[in-house]
Amino acid sequence: MSTKLNRRDFVSKSIWGATASMTLPGFLQQTLFNLDARAQSLPSQGGEGPIILLMEMAGGNDTLNTLIPYTNSIYRGARPTIRLGTEHNILKITDKDGPSVTGNNEPLALHPNLSNFKQMWDDGELGIINGVGYPNPNLSHFKSFDYWHSAEPNSIPKDGWVGRYLDNQCDGCGATTGIFINRRPTLAFQSSSVSSPTVTFQNPQFFNWRDRQGLGREKSLEGLYRNLIGLDHGADDGISGDDDTLAYVQRSAHSAMISTESVQQAMDRGGELLNPSWPNNGLANSLKTIAQLIKGQSETSVYYARQGGYDTHNNQILTGDPLTGRHSDLMQTLNGALGAFVDEMKAQGNWERMVILTFSEFGRKVIENGSLGTDHGAAETLFVMGGRVAGNQYYGLYPDLAADARVSRNSMDFNVDFRTVYRSILEKWMGVPASAMPAIFPSPPVDFTPLDIINPL
Amino acid sequence: MLEPLPQEFWSRRTATHLLQRAGFGGTPEEQEAFYQLGKDQRIEGAVDSLLETSEDWSSLSWPEWMQSEVDPNGEAYASQGIRRRDFNEWYFKVLLQGQPLAAKLLKFFIDHFAVDSVTIGQYYRWIGMFRYTETLRKHAAGNLAGEDAPFEGDERLVPPGHYGNFKTLVNHVSWSLGMIRTLDLYRSNRGNVNENFGRELLELFAMGIGSEYSDDPEYTEEDVAVAADAFTGRKFYNFRYYPDENRYTNPAGDRNPPLPPASVWQNRNSQDRSTKGPFYGYATTPNGSPIIDGDDIIDIIFDTDRCAKHLSWKLWRYFASPNPSKELVQALAYKFRDDHDYEIRPFLRDLFLSKEFYEDSVVSTQIKDAGDYFVCLAKQLGVPLPTRDAMEDVMQQLGYEVIFPPSIAGWPEPHGPGNKWLATGAMVFRMNMPSIFTHHNYAVFTSGRTRNSMDEFPEADWSVIAPKELRRKEQFPLLLEQLQKRFMPNRELRKSQVRTLFDHYSSVSEELGELEGVKELVRLILALPEYQTQ
Repeated sequence: MSTKLNRRDFVSKSIWGATASMTLPGFLQQTLFNLDARAQSLPSQGGEGPIILLMEMAGGNDTLNTLIPYTNSIYRGARPTIRLGTEHNILKITDKDGPSVTGNNEPLALHPNLSNFKQMWDDGELGIINGVGYPNPNLSHFKSFDYWHSAEPNSIPKDGWVGRYLDNQCDGCGATTGIFINRRPTLAFQSSSVSSPTVTFQNPQFFNWRDRQGLGREKSLEGLYRNLIGLDHGADDGISGDDDTLAYVQRSAHSAMISTESVQQAMDRGGELLNPSWPNNGLANSLKTIAQLIKGQSETSVYYARQGGYDTHNNQILTGDPLTGRHSDLMQTLNGALGAFVDEMKAQGNWERMVILTFSEFGRKVIENGSLGTDHGAAETLFVMGGRVAGNQYYGLYPDLAADARVSRNSMDFNVDFRTVYRSILEKWMGVPASAMPAIFPSPPVDFTPLDIINPL
Repeated sequence: MLEPLPQEFWSRRTATHLLQRAGFGGTPEEQEAFYQLGKDQRIEGAVDSLLETSEDWSSLSWPEWMQSEVDPNGEAYASQGIRRRDFNEWYFKVLLQGQPLAAKLLKFFIDHFAVDSVTIGQYYRWIGMFRYTETLRKHAAGNLAGEDAPFEGDERLVPPGHYGNFKTLVNHVSWSLGMIRTLDLYRSNRGNVNENFGRELLELFAMGIGSEYSDDPEYTEEDVAVAADAFTGRKFYNFRYYPDENRYTNPAGDRNPPLPPASVWQNRNSQDRSTKGPFYGYATTPNGSPIIDGDDIIDIIFDTDRCAKHLSWKLWRYFASPNPSKELVQALAYKFRDDHDYEIRPFLRDLFLSKEFYEDSVVSTQIKDAGDYFVCLAKQLGVPLPTRDAMEDVMQQLGYEVIFPPSIAGWPEPHGPGNKWLATGAMVFRMNMPSIFTHHNYAVFTSGRTRNSMDEFPEADWSVIAPKELRRKEQFPLLLEQLQKRFMPNRELRKSQVRTLFDHYSSVSEELGELEGVKELVRLILALPEYQTQ
């Protein structure tokens, strides 16, 4: 990939390796007013740096039925009705078994619907990180996601790990450095500094200033808004100093004002996608938007997409057929949408810029419940993929299914802390120096050695 | 703590604040009348007027297709879209037309006890959603009948209680078709337990987790397992199945009262009847009986400090401010549990009378959620609901689709302390949307769609909102004052904002006439960040 930096990049862009050490730490000093001024005076030249796509699987993915230990007798015994085996055309990973906590290598297979995952594994573009979690796992969806988003387990989180990363490493990155395609924001993007340069929207079509069409007043409306929310007053940006609630809304309005234009420009430049065959579902639509922004040379470096529905307490499979039911459908949607996205990235020539990380708030218990489903568990398997990912490799160890982590119906213990995975991506991929880690991860895990998940150039 | 606000502190500001938080605000005339009421009949008189519930509140009927006791899905699944919009319209009619405090409480319950119509399933969706919302609606109206709350179904299932009591409400929720389907209770059997409901009962509905507002011990995974065991064997009948063996004599003396279709029941065979415990340190229920079924678990939960604090904290956040101190939460909790035995309206009365409710850290510190935003807007403009199609479009964009909560934790998903509702996209929509009312600007959400038409959004009466005699340029300060009173009382505008508004008003008035000037002015005021707070 190209690592050339033009002068403007050199001056304004600090996240990309070489210049990182030259910046003052802190998005902190940058006001939205400056951001806006910069956006006005320097129309985006388009990004060429590395990109992360965080792929959130909400609800608690049952990774035991995603990456299946199909010969493991504990797995088979604990899941008499919902287990997947050779008879279900599981996609066996035949070239290597997964190292396990027990010391025995575990023969593993991907869910039969994850054909694109299997292909990427075979092509060396998909790495598998087993046994990921954190100490004292919390089995609440909401707490556990708070921990994953903040990267501060067992605390009352105030901000997100992406927010802290951007605060720290992204002086001058532009107003849309993080984009989440969703209706509601994520804590991961939350910044405790003056402003978080991230945006969240569902449909780019509506992410625009709209006046009655044909009156030609759209521009004047935008100008009025800028004025009314104080965006064109350099000395006094109008943001309330003593009213946190108002200040929050004012910042939202500022951030909306600044980001709509760059998003619209990138969408316009992006135009038609190169991959003609996309599935039609919510996740695919989100990924299409992201693909179009990337094609349109958006400067965004962190994208975030979300697929819900993984809370499979019931009907994870339908009676008698583990290839039907909720989990199977989710796997199919994920596989289809991500597959189309990867094809698009390859066609655009952007696959080498991309790292995708899948994660969920927790895995599920080993023993199935009485409703053809599984209850909340602990450790899970993560997938990391991209053109430069050191794929066809296992990281971490497959958990010991017999180890009883919580009460009577057991879930699994972790052996890789998820914060280490985050760090690996920031350090090995985004080029963030190790010296910045204490600010991004204020409470690091005991073993914080980054994984070598990226192939060296 | 929680001393009553002294009478001399009653002002237009406090009156407006109370009207806003206990309901959805009021027109300038209503604000003034409410202020006078508090002056004439003391603050207690004003607060009590908010607590009164009228009969109207409980008589809004279901759509016709829901009223007969037949399978509301009938033969045609094809009309799901229309039914979805009907339900949405029914809900917002209740909010807009109902008694304000009851409406506000219903909105709280819908969020606190979110059920998901997708999980309820296509066949039971509408009977599940309507009956469930009806239960919440009755609890929101309070103890109107002044007697035991009748339970829609087999009364023997639930312990006696009143509508408007939080503990009774949790009991009714645990016996509702909507919740039994949403959180898998019907599939949780003795020896083959599904923990979904047990966990969320503790975490979301009653006890809460974390130390943000309470230092009481947290429940453990073992407690989750005990709760899940206790709520086993809860089932429901099919639509057309009327079981004879379930007929009985109800407390009113009726023999064989007919049960509504799809009634819930207890399957004793799949219920875990064993003695359980300890649960959260309790070896028995508070009255000494052994811990056996779900009622016993609820008895214990509502005896704990953690539950009293969790519910008080949530109610305070909803009605007052996002970050109450631990001391305040504790004082509220003891009031709620010990003084009022979880009766909601008497507790809210204390809350609305308290000094703390009127502190600067409370007034104007909320961001309107999507429900508040829309209902306030309609009330301020004095317009009825737009058509059901338009309503659905608006709520999709605002992220408040009432039959599809983003998660079982309601709207929005919790994001740690504070209330952070606004996504950037939602902010853009909120700034764009008012022009639908002022300018019929459907471009806001209808690109590529033809469904909406000009008559879907009712026209406001502009002569009321901006009386003609105030529209001359020289009258601008008075006009602006009038509009501020209506649209954002208790908020000041900055000088630069006033100047921009004046310049624009004058130029549009001159070019297109005073009425167009007024509409532009209103549209811009509604797009201000200040408008999003209350």
